[in-house]
Parts: sequence; structure tokens; C-alpha cells
Amino acid sequence: MTTLIEARAAKPRRKPVGHAMLIGGAVAALAVGAALPWIVPTKIAMSLLAQAMFDALLATSVGFLILQNGRTSFGQAAFFGLGGYTIGVLVARQWVAPELALLAALILPTAVAFLLGLVISRITGVAHAMLTLAVGQAFYEVVFRWRELAKGDDGMSFDLPARVFGFSARKLQDPAFMLVLSWTILVLVLVGLVLFTRSRVGQVAAAIRDNEERARFLGYSTVMPPALVYAIAAFIAATAGILQACYNGYIAPQMFHWSTSGFALIMAIIGGAKFIFGPAIGAIVLFYIKDFAGQFAEYWPAIVGGILVVVTLTMPRGVVGLALLLWRRGTGR
Amino acid sequence: MTGHVIEGIGLSRRYGGFAALDNVDIAVKQGEIRGLIGPNGAGKSTLIDVLSGRAATRGGKVLLNGEDISALTPQERRRRGMARSFQRTNIFPDLTVEQQLLVAAWAVPGADIAEVMDELRLTELADIPAGEISYGDQRRLDLALALVGRPAVLLLDEPAAGLTMEESLGLARILRDLANRWKVTVLLVEHDMQVVFSICDRITVLHLGRSLSEGTCAEIRVDPTVIAAYLGTEA
Repeated sequence: MTTLIEARAAKPRRKPVGHAMLIGGAVAALAVGAALPWIVPTKIAMSLLAQAMFDALLATSVGFLILQNGRTSFGQAAFFGLGGYTIGVLVARQWVAPELALLAALILPTAVAFLLGLVISRITGVAHAMLTLAVGQAFYEVVFRWRELAKGDDGMSFDLPARVFGFSARKLQDPAFMLVLSWTILVLVLVGLVLFTRSRVGQVAAAIRDNEERARFLGYSTVMPPALVYAIAAFIAATAGILQACYNGYIAPQMFHWSTSGFALIMAIIGGAKFIFGPAIGAIVLFYIKDFAGQFAEYWPAIVGGILVVVTLTMPRGVVGLALLLWRRGTGR
Repeated sequence: MTGHVIEGIGLSRRYGGFAALDNVDIAVKQGEIRGLIGPNGAGKSTLIDVLSGRAATRGGKVLLNGEDISALTPQERRRRGMARSFQRTNIFPDLTVEQQLLVAAWAVPGADIAEVMDELRLTELADIPAGEISYGDQRRLDLALALVGRPAVLLLDEPAAGLTMEESLGLARILRDLANRWKVTVLLVEHDMQVVFSICDRITVLHLGRSLSEGTCAEIRVDPTVIAAYLGTEA
């Protein structure tokens, strides 16, 4: 026993990044974001990168469910679409003030996910994945067929109001502004998720993920913390949906489609779903892969599929996991 | 009040046509370590499950400090001071030793993990994910999770399973010491008779879901019905 303890004590342990370093990194990332309009050469590139930020937020949402609840979702696009449709429909119909529409677009998907989470957090494995797929597709079918809501499968364009919270809403359709805004939101979301995983409720949720029965016998409700994680993940997905809807001034059923959820899952896996930053990195990597593959082949999704197979087989912890492994080997940590 | 911390009265549990527990009574006094022995299928783990709320009893009731807790959930029983461990190592493999002890402590107001880490010799392993520590360390961690907050009653289901003789006896010494100092009442299911006879104050023998005998270690050693049903002549 003593020998074992000594051996472990001699080996430096991996400590999590401190709060000061986290805040420092976040400030640096926000500074980079503010400089992006001067770094990215063209408006088209800015526009594509802004789209990559929406993808990164959705992928982060999917990855957070895997990381914190140990659950794979094929239906996260439901909350992405719900956020986009809520703001799109409310703004287009002018039923409420734009500020209220924004709040509703954030609160509605979050509340729906929390209530769903109370039920589906009890279900694991393939059954959970299929249930999330069914929920997502149910939303898709509703908006696809309900023409009175937002013109069904045609989708619906809408004009942004002149001002929201006193600011010019038209700026949301400027590529440079949207790139900085979406980058900033992504950075804040990632920092928020790191802080959540370190909080009491985050640690309890992780314990429930690891061993639900033991957590129950330690005295915890094993339903509420996972449901809260579902709600947070939906909030992030809804934010991505709102940003995309406002930027494009257009909503369509594709926002709810399972393939939107599937691509977000692929991004999370490529980047490394076991890391908070992994899915966002995966979204950026996939953005460049799509851009590169699109130059050579019309059927670029097949190339993406091939890359997913290679990553799954050779990098089970994704790009971030591989990078960390190489860094630790290089530095001897 | 009967002077017993934990009591089971007329506990029964069936799995299909099989009576895992059949009208079993058990009562344990404060600070006592009660051994629960018997052959495989005797109902030992089922009794622990019924007392802890993992399985419901068909008839009968469970009393904790005289209060009927039969209808309470495992969470509510934990808050009233009942903790348990499991037959197989039941920890949180991805959390560090310290993280999971903190999680255990947050559920019990005023709980201190430093004393548990110290008593169970886990301090040096604090920053290591539990999945990476040795099996013996994991068993001690399993026990530590149950001991956080000094529970009034500790139900242990084969805590020494898979340990070497030296590790088993070491764990037994820690358990005896903590039961004395912290006044923890322990109900211990264990197949290792050396462990049972070295730390238990009294022993209950179960056989085919029924209580076969109860007494001190010396009485159980020479009880002819126990020798015939379980211990054999080697005991």
C-alpha cells in the first residue's frame, strides 16, 4: 500500500485550469474576437465563419449533454429550431415586442427541455438516443406541415425590427458584427460551462452520470440535476437558433431536422465530446473540411463520413484529446 | 423506544416464487457491529436492500431510532442517518477521490471529508480519479463514501470482497475502531469468517430466507444448527 501511495504521490497530478487562467484565457479569446473583422479578409469569409459559430454553439450543446449527463442526443436541433422559430414567428407577426420575443425564444426551448429532461434523463443508451430523435422529428413534422405557422416546408423570411433593447437590430445581419457577436457568445458559453462543471450541481450531475444508484443512496435526487443539464444545453442550442434566424432573416423546417442534430453530433465527436471546448473545435475543423472537400466533390458529406470513421477509430477522444495527449507527451506531464 | 437503532420486524421479500426473505426480525443496538452470515441465497443482501430502501418489503416494517421508515425513499433514509455500501465496488470512477467525497458530504449538513479521508487513509489519493486507484483503495473509498457525515447506521454488503487477507483484516480494524469512536451501528454482510469473528459483537445467521440463529460470536461458533447449515466442523 505504502509503495503504491508513494508512487502516485511522486507523479504530478493533473490539476484543472485555475479560475485566474480561465478568465485570462477568456479575455484573450474575447480580444481575438473583437479583432476578427480585421483578421478575416472578406465579407463572405466572415459570413461563413459566423455560420461556423452557430454550428459551434449547437455542437457545444450536444457535447455538453454527453459530457455532463453521459447521454447522446439525436434531437438537439429541436431546441435550435424552437429558438429560431419562436423569434422568427413572433417578430414576423409582431404579436409581442422584439425584446419579449427574444426572451420567449430563450425561455420556451429551455423550459421544454427541462420538462422533457425530467422524463428522458431516466432512460439510457439506444432508447435515449431514439427518444431524442423522435422528439426532434416530431417538432420537424409539425413545422413542416403547419403552413399557417411559418409557410410549412417553404420556410418563412422575416424582417428584423429597427431596434432591440435600444440597439440597431439591422446590425445582426452584418457579417462582421454577427461574427464578433457569435464569437463572444460562444466564449461566454464555454466559460459558463466550465464554471458549471465545477459547481456543486455540476459535480452532482457528473456523479449521477457515473453511478446513478450510488448518488441516490448518498441522498440525491437523480432526476433534477440531469434535467437542469438538458435545460442548459437547450438554452445554448436555442441561442444558436436565434442567432442564425436573425442573421439570415429566415426560418425553415431544416432547422429541426435530424440531420442538423446529426451534424452537430459529428462535430462534437470529431472535436472531442469529453471536453467542453471539444465540440466547438470540432465545428471549426468540420467547417474547414467542408470547405476543402466542397472544392473537389459535390458529395462532400461522404468525405465527412469517411473522416468521422477515421477519427472514431484512431482518435476516440477527438482532436482535442489527441492534442492534449501529444502536448502531455511533449512536456512530460 | 426499544433501545435499538435499527430494527426490522417481520420483513419478507419474494422474487417470483422464491422467498428471499421470510418473516425475518432483526434489531441492532447503538454502536454494535452485527454480523450477518449464511450461505449464498440465504437472504443477506436482500435484508440489506430492504432495510436501506433499495427493495420494498411485503409486510413488516423497518424502524430507525423507533421511527417507521418503511415508506421512505433511500434518499430520505440517508438524510435520517442510514448509509450503505454495495456488494460490488460502487464508486464514481471519473471523479477524483476528493471530488466524490465532497459530493457525498454536500448531502449531509456539517459533514467533514477530512476526517474520513484521514481515517480511511485516502488523503494521498485525493486528486486521483477513482477509476485509476487500486481495487483495495476503491473498497476503502466505497466505505468512506458511506461513512461521510458519521451516519447512525451503516449497512455493509461484503466490504472485504476481493481483498487479500491482510487488506480484509486492516479494513476490519478500521471499521471496529470507527464504530467505537463514532458510535456507528453496523450491520455487516461478510463471507470472510475471520473478519466477522474478529470485529462483530453479535451475529445473525440467515438460512433460506429465515433467521436461523442469533448470538455472540462464541455462541454462534458452537451452535449445532449453524454448524450444520453453514459453518461446518472447521469453524
